[in-house]
This record gives sequence, structure tokens and C-alpha cells, in this order.
Amino acid sequence: MDNLRKKCRFNRNNLRSGKLIGLFILAIILVLVPVVVHNPYYIHLLIMVSMNAVLAMTFILLLRTGLITMAIAGFWGIGAYASALLAVRLHLSFWLALPASTVITGIIALLLGYLLVRRGGIGFVIETLVFAFIIVLVFGTFDVFGGYVGIYNIPRPDPISLPFLAPIEFTSKTPYYYLMLFLVLIVVLVFSAFYTAWTGRAWRAIGLSPRLAESLGVNIFRYRLLAFIIAAAVAGLMGSFFAHYYGAIIPSTFGPYKTLYVQVYAILGGVNFAILGPIIGTLLMTIASEFLRISKEVEPIVTSLIVILLVMFLPDGIMGLIRRGQRPQSPAKNITRVAGWIRAFLSTTNSDSRDRK
Amino acid sequence: MASTLAQLVVDGLGMGLVYVLLASGINLIIAISGILFIAYGQFYMLGAYILWGLVVLLKVPFFISLCVATVVPAMLGGVIYRLIFQRIQSMQRQFLNGIVASIGLMVLIGQAALLAFGTSSRGVPPVFTGMLNVGVVSISFDKVVLIMLAIVVLLGLHFLLQKTNVGRAMRAVSFNPDVAALQGVNSSRIYLGAMVVGCALAGFAGGAMSPMFGVSPQMGMTTLLVLLVVVLGGIGSMTGAIIAGLILGLTLSFGQYFISGGLAQIFFFIVIGLIIFFRPGGLLGQPAEEMPL
Repeated sequence: MDNLRKKCRFNRNNLRSGKLIGLFILAIILVLVPVVVHNPYYIHLLIMVSMNAVLAMTFILLLRTGLITMAIAGFWGIGAYASALLAVRLHLSFWLALPASTVITGIIALLLGYLLVRRGGIGFVIETLVFAFIIVLVFGTFDVFGGYVGIYNIPRPDPISLPFLAPIEFTSKTPYYYLMLFLVLIVVLVFSAFYTAWTGRAWRAIGLSPRLAESLGVNIFRYRLLAFIIAAAVAGLMGSFFAHYYGAIIPSTFGPYKTLYVQVYAILGGVNFAILGPIIGTLLMTIASEFLRISKEVEPIVTSLIVILLVMFLPDGIMGLIRRGQRPQSPAKNITRVAGWIRAFLSTTNSDSRDRK
Repeated sequence: MASTLAQLVVDGLGMGLVYVLLASGINLIIAISGILFIAYGQFYMLGAYILWGLVVLLKVPFFISLCVATVVPAMLGGVIYRLIFQRIQSMQRQFLNGIVASIGLMVLIGQAALLAFGTSSRGVPPVFTGMLNVGVVSISFDKVVLIMLAIVVLLGLHFLLQKTNVGRAMRAVSFNPDVAALQGVNSSRIYLGAMVVGCALAGFAGGAMSPMFGVSPQMGMTTLLVLLVVVLGGIGSMTGAIIAGLILGLTLSFGQYFISGGLAQIFFFIVIGLIIFFRPGGLLGQPAEEMPL
């Protein structure tokens, strides 16, 4: 027994360190991107990819607990409108409006979730769909929200001064990119903290079998409500950033069809991977549609064909490629397997290494 | 006043019947084959465009065009099922992957239609001229015939589901696919049948209603609303779909007349939300178990 536990701990640590190194390399690459890429359009694309990836992560968070939500774009919009109203009407600084709108979205999600989360299954899907329809109508109808013209002239974030650095002005895309990176980092840390803690285990148990989880003493309602609130608050955070990044928002941006796209990104990336899946899915789909931008009319056709083919032939998502074959496997083995693939790939492309072998 | 009210009721019934036809079609697809077929609205648009092309461009008689507008989407639906969904349904996580594939299809067909027909909306000339006077109400003859046609089709669907062997097999599969398979029902073929009949209903709705409402590429974006109608009526219940569709049509026509703007729509959605909240299975359906992901 003790031996087994030691073995498990060893494997887990191994996985942790491998993951950490990978994340560290990824972080360095991401930080250095604006140094290499000077085209503001690509920076903009990266910002949008990060935002969609985070929205997709919130979808997967709820999916883990067995709920399919249609309200992602709705909460995204609530965050955007809350932040825009705070900044435009109350002249609040962005740095206060960002957390404030996150909290506001979380509170609205608490009230709404208290009613909706009790219904699992298709009832929840439809209730959130109704909410998604209502929220767009509310934004469009009431004058407080600026009607269908929306809110414009949303101020940029105030310049901030960090120690050892010149004050950062939000005039070009690059500061926004770094801000987004920072937000993504926070979100990923929060998510992985929740996933590794007991909450993550409870969520997974509920997603696998609600009845079994309940019989083992997991309070389904409370854990689902928690997931609902976290997902909504994170979507609100992204919405706040979006409002100040674009400078203008209109209601139709936050319609239910946006949620459908986010779901496509998440599922194509791989549902089993709560954080990497959405990132990879969003990134690859955006890259694919950018490559096809040669003719703007044909691009959605080819992209949707790619989506259909991916779903047909990679049912576990793009990230599922890594875990093909037997599923319950030690994570350390996975890393060596991927390393093996990379070595094989290098040996086929690089003639030098083949000679050396 | 009375004549206006009656006019509104007739308009609402006409609009409601479109939703009834659409809802009973997607109801079949969801209840029997278990695919949340979001691309469904595009078949409605396809039917309308086929009818427009045949009637306006090629001057084919209306009823022949209506038949073509019903058959072509149905065949397309069958082909799509065989090509895409049959494979997905045999995999794990079929529900989610089915949603993604149908979202892809929705974008695909919508964009193709946009390329082929442009963004402008088109009108279809009325089939019959003249008005029918019933007391104070005068209804265009056109609407009467189309409403009749829709009712006949719904009766036919009811007959198909209740009295024929195929319909019995469909209901058995929708009740429990495994047990139905044990009784010798080829469930894959039944799924295909549900898809074909559902898409035929969408094409018919699009074709039959295009003289009343015109044709535009945005028509296909009604799926989510139709989905609401289905759940409001109860998944798998045809009577429920009829009631919910008529409620939606009447609310829309009265709402547009009396309360302009979004408030009426907000109120309408809140009412739907409340109904589904208190009756999670819809008006006439059974509350579903947690769905398998």
C-alpha cells in the first residue's frame, strides 16, 4: 500500500514538473510574440483567440458537471455592459470597472443559477437559451443600455506605471495583448486550482454520474452552482476587457450564436482537456480561417467543412490525438510517448539526426 | 375592432402553423434519432428558395414546385445523415459531436445560400387571388389554402406515426432504441427515416409559407426559436408542438400589433422560461433524465 502511494506520488510529481516546464516555455514564447510580430492585426488575432479560448474554458467547466450552457455570450455581454456603463456613466477607471463587472456578473449568475441549476439535462440547455435570447433583447430595448446602437466611446484603460518600467499607455495593441495574457494566466491558475482541489473531483463525479455522486454525499446543486458562478464571472471578466478593448459594444454581438461558436471551439479542442483543449481548438480554428481569408465568401464554407470532418474523424477533439488508444494510462507514459513522436518527426524531417542514428 | 382581432388571429394562426410544421419536424429528429439538429432551419430556407426559383424563375406551377421543395430537402437530409451523422452516432460522446457537426452544417448551408442567392430578400407572387369573406373577416384566399395544406400535412404525419408500421417502429425507437432493436427494428434505418421526414417537413414549411412571408437567407436562423417551441410543447409530443407553435404565432402577431418593440418579446421569453421552469418536460412531455454527454 505504501509502495503504491509512493509510486503514485512519484508519477504525479513527474507529471507536474513536465507540465510546469511546458507551461514555462509556452509562457516565454507568448511573452516574446510582440517582439517578433509587428503586424498589429496578428496581435489582435491573438487577443481574440485568447478571449475565445477563455470563453470555451468556461463552457468546459460547466460541461464537466454535466451541464451544457447556452448562456456564455450572455454573461460575456453582462460583463461588457456592466463595465462600459461603470466607465461611461460613472466615470470609473478601467482598473476598478474590471473587477467590479466581474463581481456583478458573478452575483447575477448566483441569482440566476439558484433558479436554473436545479434542472439538469435539456431543461438547463433551454433555460439558458431563453436567458440568452432575453439578455440581447434587454440590452436592445432599454435606454439605459443604449438601445440597438449600443454604447460607444468607452474609455481606454488608464495608463499604469509598473516599477522599473516606463508607464504603459494603452495606445497600441501590444499593451492590450500583455493585459490579456495576464488575465488568461489568472484564469488558468484559478481554473487549475479548482480542478485540482476537491471541487474538481466533485465536478467530475457529478459529470460522470449525478446519481452516484449524490449517493456518495456530493451536494450536486451546490457544486453546480459554484461552477455556474465561476464560469459566468470569468466570462464577465472577458466581457469587461472586450468592451474597453473595442471601445464600442452593440447588443447583437452577445447573441446565442456566439455561444455556438465557442462551443465548437471547445469541443474541437477536446473536452477531456479543460485548459489546453480550448486553447488549441480556438488557435487552430482561427489559424485555419485566417489561411482561407483569400476569398472572404468561401472561407466560412471551408471552415465549416473542416469542423464537420474533424468531428467525424477525431471524436475526442484535436487533443484527443495524444490520448488515442488505451485510455487509462499513466500520465508519465504519455509524455514519453509524445517525446517519442517528436523524435520520430524530427528524424523524418531532419536528415542529420537520421544519419547519426 | 372585432375584425382587426379576427385578422390578427388568422395571421397568428398562419405564422403559428409555420412554427408547428417546423417544430414537429425537428421534434421527430430530436426524439427519435437524438440529434440536436441545429442546421434544421437551413432546410426551411432551402425549401423556400427552391420554390422561389421554380415559381418565379422557371414558371413551374405552384403545386409541382411545392412537391419539389419538399422532396429535395428531404433527400438532402437523408444524404447528410448517411454521410455524417451515421458515423457520429456510433461514436462516444455522440450528443456533443452531433451538435458540433450540425453547427458546422448550419454555417455551411447558410453561407452557400448567401453566395448563391445574395443577401436581398425576395417575394413569391400569391398563388390565388381574391378574398374570402366570413362575416366581418376577410381573408385572402391564399392564406386559407396554405393553412389547409399545412393542416393536411400534419394529419398525414399523425397518420404516419400512429397507423403505419414505420411510424410504430419510430415510436418504439424513440421509446427505447435497445429494446426496439431486440424486436427486430433496424434502428439506423429508422433514424434515417426520421431525418428524411423531418427535413421534408422543413422544406414543405418553407415552400408553403413563402408566398405569405417572402424568402430571405436569414430564414434559416430560426432554429433556436423552433427549438424553444419544441421544448415548450414537450419533446416527443406532437400535440404539444402544435399548441406551443400556435401560442408562439398568436403571441407574435398580437405582440407586433399592440406592443411594439422588444418589451413584448422579453415578456414572451420570460413566460416561456417560467413554463419550462415549472414544467421541465414542457407542456405535454415527460421530464427527461439527465442526458448522456
